Amino acid sequence: MKRKPKNIAGVWSLLAVALAIVTLLSLCDELNLPGGLTLKTSGIAERLTREPELPPEEAATLSPDSLIEKMNPDTVAVAKPDTTSHNILIFGDSMLEGLTRRLAAYADENGHTLNSVIWYSSSTKVWAEGDTLRKFIKKYHPSYIFISLGGNELFIRDIAQSREKYVRKILKEIGDIPYIWIGPPNWKKDTGINDLIASCTAPGCFFLSNGMHFDRQKDGAHPTYESAALWVDSIARWMPLHAAHPIKMKKPTKATGRAASQVMLTPPK
Amino acid sequence: MDITTIFHNLGELLRYEANSPMIFSSGLFWLLFVIFLPIYALLRNRMWQMIIFVSAFSLYFYYKSSGIFFLLLTGTSILDWTLSKLLVKQKQKWRRKLCVAVSVLASLGILAYFKYANFFLWNWNAMVEGNFQPLDIILPVGISFYTFQSISYIVDVYKGRLAPTATWLEYLFFLSFFPALVAGPIVRADYFIPQIRQCRHATISETYLGLWLIIIGVVKKAIIADYISQYNDLIFLSPTGYSGFESLMGLLGYVMQIYCDFSGYSDMAIGIAMIMGFKLMKNFDFPYKSKNLSEFWRRWHISLSTWLRDYVYIPLGGNRKGTLRTYINNFLTMLVGGLWHGAAWKFVFWGAMHGVGLAVHKACKPWLDRLPDTWLVRAVSWSVTMVYVSLLFVFFRAESWEDSLLILNNIFTNFSFDYALPFLKVRYVWVIMMVIIIGSHSLPSRWYDAAQRWFIRSNWMVKLALFLVVVQLVIEFMSENVAPFIYFQF
Repeated sequence: MKRKPKNIAGVWSLLAVALAIVTLLSLCDELNLPGGLTLKTSGIAERLTREPELPPEEAATLSPDSLIEKMNPDTVAVAKPDTTSHNILIFGDSMLEGLTRRLAAYADENGHTLNSVIWYSSSTKVWAEGDTLRKFIKKYHPSYIFISLGGNELFIRDIAQSREKYVRKILKEIGDIPYIWIGPPNWKKDTGINDLIASCTAPGCFFLSNGMHFDRQKDGAHPTYESAALWVDSIARWMPLHAAHPIKMKKPTKATGRAASQVMLTPPK
Repeated sequence: MDITTIFHNLGELLRYEANSPMIFSSGLFWLLFVIFLPIYALLRNRMWQMIIFVSAFSLYFYYKSSGIFFLLLTGTSILDWTLSKLLVKQKQKWRRKLCVAVSVLASLGILAYFKYANFFLWNWNAMVEGNFQPLDIILPVGISFYTFQSISYIVDVYKGRLAPTATWLEYLFFLSFFPALVAGPIVRADYFIPQIRQCRHATISETYLGLWLIIIGVVKKAIIADYISQYNDLIFLSPTGYSGFESLMGLLGYVMQIYCDFSGYSDMAIGIAMIMGFKLMKNFDFPYKSKNLSEFWRRWHISLSTWLRDYVYIPLGGNRKGTLRTYINNFLTMLVGGLWHGAAWKFVFWGAMHGVGLAVHKACKPWLDRLPDTWLVRAVSWSVTMVYVSLLFVFFRAESWEDSLLILNNIFTNFSFDYALPFLKVRYVWVIMMVIIIGSHSLPSRWYDAAQRWFIRSNWMVKLALFLVVVQLVIEFMSENVAPFIYFQF
């Protein structure tokens, strides 16, 4: 039985050849097969050839402390208040149900126009992959944007790897339009969506909702309308102090309002 | 393509990263194993070189998963081995007992600190309304597994079932053996240590059987369990967010997920060890075919249940001290088993209820044995067992006691088959996965044996093609994320 190291030659060569094939295939983003079939590739080549990530001092912006720092007036230069009226677009997932009602009241009070696009069950992936966002930006010509996305991505695996490109794509689509990304109202600890959004957005453009208290609807996830109104009030209080582009957000006298237009998109397939 | 960037990224991958243990189904392990294997094969006949090489690889494997705690593992091995050598030199019984006690207390003390300190503080706070802050403790990966291995070693030496290893290196090899290090099977010293000195090469059939087990393990763990877990997690993270039907599907999904995840990883561990010429004990034997709870524990996490039997149940008196004591011993053993799974009351409850179930089964056994062995009796026995096991998994998985009750309440009071068709339409991949795993679990074991034999005999190219298909499936499903709240309509 002894002196038979060659016994493993078959298994070893199989593992080595398979690894070589998978690595070589990973040089392509995906493989298009006859019949319209597309195969994903492993990402080994991308992982090995990726440019080194942020230097330590910049990478530190991903820590919870620096997230708070990012929202701190000492670290974000307070912008001059913008007193003009804006054409606001708010888009995102089902959290908009609550947010839009209260934000519309703010819009009425402060002379803004609010357009809302709710895409139920949507995620950064869904918004980034299609041209829906581009179409609505073209349609409404917003001068200010609120984003509420991330609630459907609280528990995604490998969030930084899988979703960063989508978050960046959305921000690229928005371009120079001032924006606030409203972080998801966590009902459980997330796998990193808040860190990811915070690291991709410009300073003063991300409102961290995680850690706030919310009264929830029966589903245990969505804030009640009353709680969502308080959520918007918190954003409005936060904006003049910390936002990169604060706009007029005087507290309205009426509790809710109606958006100038409200589009509801059915859940993505 | 900049070669320095590749080396830099490779270096980054090889470094310890918290919360990112190296698992057998990862690309990095695959690469390292391809490098490891030929060196190992060349050293296999040179025992000491092989032991040093494998131990060093195992310690690196542990470093990659738990960072600096590889030193803790090394320290534990030094202490255990020293005490075992000291033990066999002692003539007086109390001195021998002292050696065992010091070793066991040290092992359990380390485990208690890392795993149970905050649980204790939390309970203490609740009792005295105190204000202790939880300790900032990182739990070393696999500590529960190697602690039990360490205890079995010193107890076996004390009982005379095993002679202490001649050298510390052999003991380190046993304790840190990387295939079983982080998630078992729990390796028993008397079974494993003699294999080290045998310097046995795996036969060609065994190497391909090992590869077959790895493939099966990858399918179970990295394809099925990892995919279906996404939906199951949504249910357990938002207990009131779903209908009773969806909650029930989430529970059934978790029942299959925990089996695929754990048994899949065990299969990979056994397969890797087999390619290296080592035999590890079978850890799962179609547990969901069990027709009573005693049978379930003979088929589920076998290395743990036999460990608990030999080192807790029998030392407590087993069934030698009367019926009542047998039930109590059973119950206490399952309490230990529950607590071993995690530092929370939910695990204690889960263990306790399994203890109660085992006691009830034992009590009813004389009556149950008189029932005719018909199809109906077998079906009812299986159903009762599976319902009991599944319902207890709610407490095992849910985040809290309240969440467990919410999910159960949802299942029993908010259930409607109206959700079945929409669920099938939207979650069809999840359903297909569940059908595959339930169907394959129900197949006769001889079919698996036949498949194994076919794979071993098949052409090398066929094996390669099958392996690549499985890898491609892993890649395809790795990036498939399940969307939550499909049904939310306000």
